[in-house]
Amino acid sequence: MSDELDEIQAIFFEECAEGLLAAEQGLAAMQGGDTSPKTIASVFRAVHSIKGGAGAFGHAALTAFAHRFENVLDEIRAGRIAPTQSVITVMLGAFDKVSDHVAAAQGTMGLPDDAASLAALEAVLAGQDAAPAMVEAPAPVQVPIVVEAPVSEEIDPFGFEPVTVAIEDLGGSDAAPAMPVDPEWTILFAPSRDAMANGAEPILVIRELEGMGAQVVGVDTSALPPLRDLDPENAYLRWTISLPGDVGEDQIGDCFDFVAPDSIVEVTRTNGEPLPPAPVEPDAPLREPGAIHDLLHRVEAASPAIFAAATTTAATTAADAPAKQDPRTADTASQTIRVDLHKLDMLLNLVGELVIRGSILSDRLSPADQQRVELPEQARLTREIQDTVMSLRAQPIRQAFNRVPRMLRDLTAETGKQVVLETQGETTEVDKGVIEKIGDPLTHLIRNAVDHGIESPDERLRAGKPAQGTIRLSAAQKGARIIVTVADDGRGIDRARVRAKAIEKGLIGADAVLSDEEIDQLICAPGFSTATTVSNISGRGVGMDVVRSNVEALGGRVDISSTPGRGTVFTLVLPLTLAILDGMVVRLAGQRFVLPLAHVVEAIRPEPGQVRSTTPGSEVIEVRGTYLPVRRLIQTFGLPDPNPLPPEESLVIIVESETAGKVGLIVDTIDDRREVVIKSLEQNLHPIRGLGGATILGDGSIALILDVDALVAPLSRTLTRGLAA
Amino acid sequence: MSKLILTVDDSASMRMLLKTSLTAQGFSIESANDGVHGLARMHEVQPDLLITDINMPEMDGFELIEAVRALPQFRGTPILVLSTEFSDEKKARARSAGATGWITKPFEAAKLGAAIRRVCP
Repeated sequence: MSDELDEIQAIFFEECAEGLLAAEQGLAAMQGGDTSPKTIASVFRAVHSIKGGAGAFGHAALTAFAHRFENVLDEIRAGRIAPTQSVITVMLGAFDKVSDHVAAAQGTMGLPDDAASLAALEAVLAGQDAAPAMVEAPAPVQVPIVVEAPVSEEIDPFGFEPVTVAIEDLGGSDAAPAMPVDPEWTILFAPSRDAMANGAEPILVIRELEGMGAQVVGVDTSALPPLRDLDPENAYLRWTISLPGDVGEDQIGDCFDFVAPDSIVEVTRTNGEPLPPAPVEPDAPLREPGAIHDLLHRVEAASPAIFAAATTTAATTAADAPAKQDPRTADTASQTIRVDLHKLDMLLNLVGELVIRGSILSDRLSPADQQRVELPEQARLTREIQDTVMSLRAQPIRQAFNRVPRMLRDLTAETGKQVVLETQGETTEVDKGVIEKIGDPLTHLIRNAVDHGIESPDERLRAGKPAQGTIRLSAAQKGARIIVTVADDGRGIDRARVRAKAIEKGLIGADAVLSDEEIDQLICAPGFSTATTVSNISGRGVGMDVVRSNVEALGGRVDISSTPGRGTVFTLVLPLTLAILDGMVVRLAGQRFVLPLAHVVEAIRPEPGQVRSTTPGSEVIEVRGTYLPVRRLIQTFGLPDPNPLPPEESLVIIVESETAGKVGLIVDTIDDRREVVIKSLEQNLHPIRGLGGATILGDGSIALILDVDALVAPLSRTLTRGLAA
Repeated sequence: MSKLILTVDDSASMRMLLKTSLTAQGFSIESANDGVHGLARMHEVQPDLLITDINMPEMDGFELIEAVRALPQFRGTPILVLSTEFSDEKKARARSAGATGWITKPFEAAKLGAAIRRVCP
């Protein structure tokens, strides 16, 4: 049971995330001037659902806050409060608190301080257009922290709370005196036609009372017409019922919960006196028990006949109902299914094996045999399975973009800068693992853009720009890569300052000659920070270097392009998936290695003299006028090569890495270009520097995947030192 | 033969919670995720009882109750509203639409069961 509830609760939190997204989109639309009933209703429904589920799972604080928020939304929905900008601002603040409460309910953060937001909501409800001052100054006295949400102190182990029942028309309750011995209850019950028309069943009410020890002591049949005039849907009888005094009034009220609003129900204490007579002719039916019996039968046959009929038909048809169900609509409720991510990984791994087996078959069979066993068809199906499995792991990048609007609101409030966010391509699907790891870099880039890029409104106006800055967040798929850009229209990178800072920090020499791009890249250097005052937004010493290392850990890279006075564009180039790699199969001393294609810039067959030795053990290649360092992988890995090829017969693959720029790698030949399934080395061996994993090639042999960044890193240090010297 | 209940709620967690707690009490549960599907499911499963949420996309609970009540075969089928709302105005609207009773979320499984037995013989 508990596991089941945990699982349901996990689904609830997913719904919360969806609800929060819908609410945020709705609020953003409202902020932009769309206050249509549909938009308002979407926000209301989202908050309402969160509240409902939160109550069911016993998240009292979330329920209470969402309830207050919902009240304001309800008033707006009903047109009693106008959705002015200041009201919307309060709601955005409340939205943030709901998000925090959801996070608190999930246990990812502590309970948020929502007093100010509650006060602001109160002010809106009270009709005072919440001024910012009010938001900041919560008067504890006027903040009803205890709201009348159906939240109770007593929470049972399953997190359920008592149901709130509304009992109307329960007269006489005030008269009940506290007595050592409870006098008997006397109940007068006259069900109404309306209650019956709504499917209420008086017989069930009486049976439930009987279950508590009640006795029907009188039935008033005076209103009962002759049979020919009897309306089977009307109610004609009035019952007088006596009930032991120890039964709680609430219990009695519960019984009448569904008939009370329309029916006459009077509950009184008899104070130990004899039962009052039933209003009219109480003795008549009592004198003739047979008549009562007949009467009750007639009532059962007449008045509730419709219900009896309905329930029996329901019962009979229910039996064959499953057979009638259209499979397509059989379970409209469950259109999604939650799957353990590990199972997906396992599936992807197995599909990878299948792909490999397929290539092995195609290597071993002659083309004619391949056709005979329909191998191409098999390969096509395998490819389809592979694509489908990959798509299972893909999620819209929206999930990573989601937290940006809120962050921007916080940032703009903190800095006094004005920023609008434009997003594009939120539906671009990216591997779940990538989405999880891209959040932090993205957060930092946005912070960076607001903190360092976008100018203050005054400064922007002086520069002839609109006071409001713009940050564009976009995602797109290009081949096997996902391109995420964060672009601002701020002041751009101040290269003179970056350079001065880099010299001061000893990152480069005072006389280093760097291109603009190289200077821009310096902001990604570890420990680099140009913020003169460390704000609490960005600039804590960790920053762009973390962005870069996170992105590189994903097999991606960060490009920076900046125009002074016009803004900066950060481009994250990410792999579509973490499990399959587009690789170039190269041969080295008879062995095969896979070079990630993302790093490969070009392949060069060197002319004699193009590769030159500078100092012993260090070589460069001249490529169109520039010199690039060259690395002999045979030496790096210490491979025994009985017949080393002269440089002119080998190939130089120019790779580009984040750490070292372009570097030439000398290999023997290029074998192939193919997608390979990455198998982790860590699972079977310890991590080896320079190797990113292994894969199985078509012929069943194993090839190691080269980790370009790690391979060229030692070179780059030499290079940087050389520059700095 | 256990009573067949159709629950209509746009929240999957709420549907599952209802199913879990009511199945444990011996009821059979079918579910739908909004009013439109709920109405279709009414015809398919012919339940003994309908439990519906109010705030749902497409067709809301009020509209669903009215639509169900308008059908002769469901005139006597008990309908319970299960909602986080609890204003008298909403309850009155539900009653005039034809709801038998109103239960406020969050619900306690045992009390919900008792409420069901109160309307469902």
